[in-house]
Amino acid sequence: MSAYAALSRATYKATVRDATTLFFTFAFPLVFLVIFGLIFRGQEVGDTGRGYIDYIAPGVLSWGLASAALFGVSFTLMQWRNDDLLRIIRLSPASLWSVIGSRYVVALAIGVAQSVLFVGVAMLPGFGMRPDATWPLAIPTMLLAVTAFLALGLIVGSRANTAEAVAAIANCIVVPMAFLSGSFYPLELMPGWLQGISKALPLRYVNDGMAYAFTSFGTMTDYLVSCAALLAFGAVFAVIGVRTFRWSNNS
Amino acid sequence: MSSTDGPAIVLDAVSKSYGEVRAVDEITISIGRGEFFGLLGPNGAGKTTLIEMIEGLRVPDSGSVTVLGMSPAPRNLKLLPLIGVQTQGSAFFTRLTAREHLVTVAALYGLPPAAAERALELVGLTGSGDVRVTNISGGQRQRLAIASALVHDPQVIFLDEPTAALDPQARRDLGAMLRKLKATGKTIVYTTHHLDEAQGLCDRVAILTGGRVLALDSPRELIASSGIGTRLVVPAGRLTLLEAEELDGVDRVDVVADEGIVLHTTQTARVLAALGDLDDVETRPATLEDVYLELTGAPQA
Repeated sequence: MSAYAALSRATYKATVRDATTLFFTFAFPLVFLVIFGLIFRGQEVGDTGRGYIDYIAPGVLSWGLASAALFGVSFTLMQWRNDDLLRIIRLSPASLWSVIGSRYVVALAIGVAQSVLFVGVAMLPGFGMRPDATWPLAIPTMLLAVTAFLALGLIVGSRANTAEAVAAIANCIVVPMAFLSGSFYPLELMPGWLQGISKALPLRYVNDGMAYAFTSFGTMTDYLVSCAALLAFGAVFAVIGVRTFRWSNNS
Repeated sequence: MSSTDGPAIVLDAVSKSYGEVRAVDEITISIGRGEFFGLLGPNGAGKTTLIEMIEGLRVPDSGSVTVLGMSPAPRNLKLLPLIGVQTQGSAFFTRLTAREHLVTVAALYGLPPAAAERALELVGLTGSGDVRVTNISGGQRQRLAIASALVHDPQVIFLDEPTAALDPQARRDLGAMLRKLKATGKTIVYTTHHLDEAQGLCDRVAILTGGRVLALDSPRELIASSGIGTRLVVPAGRLTLLEAEELDGVDRVDVVADEGIVLHTTQTARVLAALGDLDDVETRPATLEDVYLELTGAPQA
C-alpha cells in the first residue's frame, strides 16, 4: 500500500468514526434545508413556475460543501501537527504531497456523498426540488469548490494551533461568506455594493455554478466564469497553503 | 566512509542557537554501532535540540552531523528509512486501532501490513491490536509509540523518555523490552530522567547542561571516577560521631536527621569489618544519579 493510499484510508476512517464530523458534514446542511423549506413552503418565485427550494437548495449545498472542505482539512492538519503525526510523516520517506493528496481525495469523496445525499433529500416530495437537465454541470463546480476550500483549509490549518482556533477562524470565514455570497438569501435582493463585495468571495462562484447547473439561473458564460474563478482562488490558496505549511508547532 | 562501517552517529562541534540562547554549544560526540547511548540532563539542557539535529529536523548553525555516514539534513530520503523515532506524547493516527495505526505507519515506508504485525509482536501488543489508540493504557501507549519507531526495522532508534509517566510494573516491563531491543544490535539513543534505568541499560551516557557535555562515559566509569564512593547508613544511637570518625576506612561522616549517621567511604569492606556485628547498617553504593546530581547541581562556570 502506498503512503498516499494508507493516509487516505486513515483519514477516511477517522472521519466516519466521528459522529460530530458526520453530523456537521451530512446532517447540518439538511437542517438548513428543512428550515428554509419551512420558511418558503409552497411559494413560487415570480412567474417562473419554480418553487423557492430550487433557488435555495443549490446555495445551501454550496455552503455545506465549502464548510466541510474547509473545516475537515484545517482540523486534520492542526490535529496531525499537534499530535506529532506530521513529525512521524516528516521522518518517513513519505512526501508532503501524500499528506495533502490523501486529504484531498477524502474531501472529494465527502463532497460527492454530501451532494448526492443533499440533492436526493431535496428532491423528496416534502421539498420538491426539480433539478434541470444541466445538473451534471454541478459536478465540476462541486470538485472545484472542494478544491478551493480545501486549499483555504491548508492555510487555516497551518496557522491555527488549537481546535478552538480552527473553529473560530473557519467560522469567521465561512459564515459571513455564506450570507455575503447569497448562499442563504438571493444576491439580487442585496444592495449593489454588497453584490460587488460578493465578487471577491470564492463561495459566490460556487453558488453561481450550482444555480446554473440545477436551476439554469444565469448564463453559460456566468457558469464558465464561476469555474475559472474557483480555479484561480484554488490556485492562489494552494500556493499560500503550501508556503505556510508547517511540519511542527515549534519550527 | 561507507554506510556499513564506522560509527553510527558523529557530532562534530555542533552548535545551535535560538536568538541569544545557545541551546547546543560545540558538542562533539561519537556513538558506535550497536551502542545503547543515554542522553541525560535537566529540561532545557539541549537534549531535544541535539536529537532533532541528528534526526535532520533542525540544521546546526555550525559543526557537522553524520548519521550512518550520511548527512541527515536537508531531508535525506536515503537515511530516513534507516532511523526510527519514538516521540513523546501520543503521535497516533486519530480514531484508529493500534494495528491500523501501525499499518498506516508501515505504509509510510512503503511496507506491507506484515511489518505492522511484526512490530506489534516485538513490543508485546498483539493481543491489544484491535483497541483504539485513545483507549489503550499508559504502558501500552509507550509500547505502541516504540512499535511505530520499529515498524521499518531501522538501524538507529531514538527513544524520547519512553518510560515517563509509567507505573513501576509497566516501567519494569518496558525496561525488559528495551534490553531485548538492545540485544538485537540496534544503535539506540535514549533520553530519560530515570537515572537508575539509564545506569542499567546504557553502554555510555552523556550528561548535558546548558548545551554542553559535562561528562561522557560508561555509567560504571562515571561512578568510579566521581570519587563519590559508598555511603553506609548507621541508625541513630548505635554509634557516636567520634566513634564513627575513627572507624577504619571512613573518609567523612555526616549526621542526617531521620536517618542516623552516614559514613562515606571508598573502601566499603574495610568499614564493614570495622563496624563488626552492628545490625541494620544500610550500604548505598554510589549511583549514576549521585554523579548526575553532583555534576548538574554544581554552579555552571
